[in-house]
Amino acid sequence: MKIQINGAFPYGLQMQNLRETHLWYILPDEVKRVALLKQYSELLSPCERENVNRMGGDQLKKRALLARALVRTTIARYQTNCEMNPRSLKFRKNIYGKPEVEWQTEDNFIPPPLHFNISHTSSMIACGVTVNVPIGIDVEEKQRRIKNNVIAFARRYFSPYEVELLTAISDPEIQRQEFIKLWTLKEAYVKALGKGFSAVPFKTFTIRFRPKALRSLPGSPVSEASEIIIDSSDDPSILTNNWQFALLEVAGGHYASICTEKDKSIGGEGTMPMKLTVRKTIPFVEDVCVSGTDAVVALGGIIEQ
Amino acid sequence: MASLTGASLNFTSLSSSFNRTQAPLRGISNVNSVSFQSIRMRPGSLRFRVSCAAKPETVNKVCEIVRKQLALPEDSSVTGESKFAALGADSLDTVEIVMGLEEEFGISVEEESAQSITTVQDAADMIEKLIKSRDA
Repeated sequence: MKIQINGAFPYGLQMQNLRETHLWYILPDEVKRVALLKQYSELLSPCERENVNRMGGDQLKKRALLARALVRTTIARYQTNCEMNPRSLKFRKNIYGKPEVEWQTEDNFIPPPLHFNISHTSSMIACGVTVNVPIGIDVEEKQRRIKNNVIAFARRYFSPYEVELLTAISDPEIQRQEFIKLWTLKEAYVKALGKGFSAVPFKTFTIRFRPKALRSLPGSPVSEASEIIIDSSDDPSILTNNWQFALLEVAGGHYASICTEKDKSIGGEGTMPMKLTVRKTIPFVEDVCVSGTDAVVALGGIIEQ
Repeated sequence: MASLTGASLNFTSLSSSFNRTQAPLRGISNVNSVSFQSIRMRPGSLRFRVSCAAKPETVNKVCEIVRKQLALPEDSSVTGESKFAALGADSLDTVEIVMGLEEEFGISVEEESAQSITTVQDAADMIEKLIKSRDA
């Protein structure tokens, strides 16, 4: 089963040279055709199908199915040699439980240094892909209700600086939104690290925005409203500047955070923008590049779309 | 949802319950909308429980809190065996559930433990352990 995408295939070589980050997402509400869902289910391993079946209820089963289909079809696009059958991909978890591709080592086959991470809410399933550097992503619905008191929640799990920041917001709706943004950023970081949540509890680091003057030329695709930086709570003077973030509002109602390790090999001390391309997909049906459209609004981080 | 077996996909007839949970289509044409009769989950295999497992009352209380957090319909099955992820909980839900449990049982759960709870039984067992050490 080949992946035929409108135009650009394969992506692999291009990405490697340009150090890009790609975000692919599916909106489950747009996928209803039975035949299509059946096609997706045929991509899954028996184990994955079993996991899908164990989900409670139709919507959760569909979501789990789409998540696996998205991962498989997305990774299959990034092959530099022949067409890759998404069904033949094998996955495993690293020692901390982070999913990764288990490349089949054949003669003369050099596995691409591809990294991926997925996240889903009921209305969006997303997969981020990078070359050479680890990536973590998290998506949440903007309207997501928090059952507990936001500040009580933050006091319990966030760093003191972050609690102070949230407490200072008087509008409860804005406060809730900022809470969710912060949550997705922290999740994305922990997932990028790939060492499990116990390795770096949320309380032990602070994520904050550092405003930057807009230096970009009119019409420039680089948004530099504010840089997102991360400190270790234990010692605030230590800036953990190996990581860069992007915070986006995607497809209207979703916050999406992306965290990637900075690629040291490109050199320079300053922060290179994250070269991000966002695509909405219905695998086997259509892909739409939505970067630069209303579907993607940069809320933070130094991003070039 | 069509049931996915190793060999084939079985389709069953329309069901109103699936329709109710569908969000409206967003400007997509030429997509055929089909509904599926909800498939009741196969009951999990019974496992022998050693006597140090949590009391049924604790398990039931956890189920209740989980139901509330995830806004599950009354008829959905939540038991000790239930995995949070299979009920649709993401990490934010899990943390919220733990906060609810802390409040309900008057205990304090370490962040690392909070993130590692995967089933209702895990939560119930942990609660009883914490209560024991709190009251010791």
